[in-house]
Amino acid sequence: MSERADVWMVIPVFNESQVIAEVVREARRTFPNIICVDDGSRDNSASEIHEAGAHLVRHPVNLGQGAALQTGIEYARAQPGAEYFVTFDADGQHQVEDVLRMLHRLRTEDIDIVVGTRFGKSADTSHIPWLKRFVLRTVVLLSPRTRRLGLSDAHNGLRAFNRKVAWDINIRLNGMGHASELVHLMDVHHWRVAEEPVTILYTAYSMSKGQSLLNGVNIVWDSVLKTGPRR
Amino acid sequence: MIVIQILLILAVLLGLLLFLRHHGKSKTAASVKVGFALFLIFAVIAVLDPNLLTDVAHFVGVGRGTDLVLYAFIVAFGFATINTYLRFKELEFRYAKLVRAVAIQNRQLPEDGEQEPEPEQRS
Repeated sequence: MSERADVWMVIPVFNESQVIAEVVREARRTFPNIICVDDGSRDNSASEIHEAGAHLVRHPVNLGQGAALQTGIEYARAQPGAEYFVTFDADGQHQVEDVLRMLHRLRTEDIDIVVGTRFGKSADTSHIPWLKRFVLRTVVLLSPRTRRLGLSDAHNGLRAFNRKVAWDINIRLNGMGHASELVHLMDVHHWRVAEEPVTILYTAYSMSKGQSLLNGVNIVWDSVLKTGPRR
Repeated sequence: MIVIQILLILAVLLGLLLFLRHHGKSKTAASVKVGFALFLIFAVIAVLDPNLLTDVAHFVGVGRGTDLVLYAFIVAFGFATINTYLRFKELEFRYAKLVRAVAIQNRQLPEDGEQEPEPEQRS
């Protein structure tokens, strides 16, 4: 376990009491350091997290996933000995094995951040609902920045990065627009980016929790306006 | 003087009163204050002599004075909306920072945490 003591896993949580304890326990078998950010859940996600043995910070009010990620990263990067950081979804759709591969690449290759992709070169995407696949593909096609960085799946919640990225990161969009904002940050800060094919488990639970495609309109809106305060 | 003129001028005076009462507190820029004063003067003139407004409208190629006012209103409303939107965004950002600080202050460490040194905070 100690060999991964320099890794911090950040999990934003919003009303996930059904699955979060299991997700945390499963991840803790591999990663000792987990920080869950309870984004003002109205169910008992917080106590589930605490019992499962993760670090817990709670937003007194709901802010959105982007804000929760930022909180978790700020917490994690202040921990002594923290070298590598992973963002992980609370609904159990990400795999620990994928994280291990991404961390191995971070340690051995000359890169700052590894982003999970559902659309790797030889990936079988048939398990992804076709409408979702279509929208995700379109988002990538429409974003010149995403293409320039060579990313095929900008809206994947599974990412691993090093200290440099953790201290550079400053997500200003509280809601779901943070994925595009991260792509923007990659470009601005010249992080060395790599992609790793990952498997996303689309369970009935994660499908019901996942963001609706209509939310894509909000994401595009936020990204186009980029109205965050200059600072 | 017709009734509508009295009502409109009363409204302008009320606006002036409110503006003066909040004068000390608000940190509005000087340009905004001057602009508002000009607006009040313009409003009184327009109410007392609507034909003047119609003349201005004709000058810029608009049929009636009321139409000119409507167009100006739409533009001003658009600006006000954008301004409010930006303010809300800024406020939301500060609010997030506050929530974040509270959340991290009230962190709950895991029970079995053997080594739990104080995390160094850098803001």
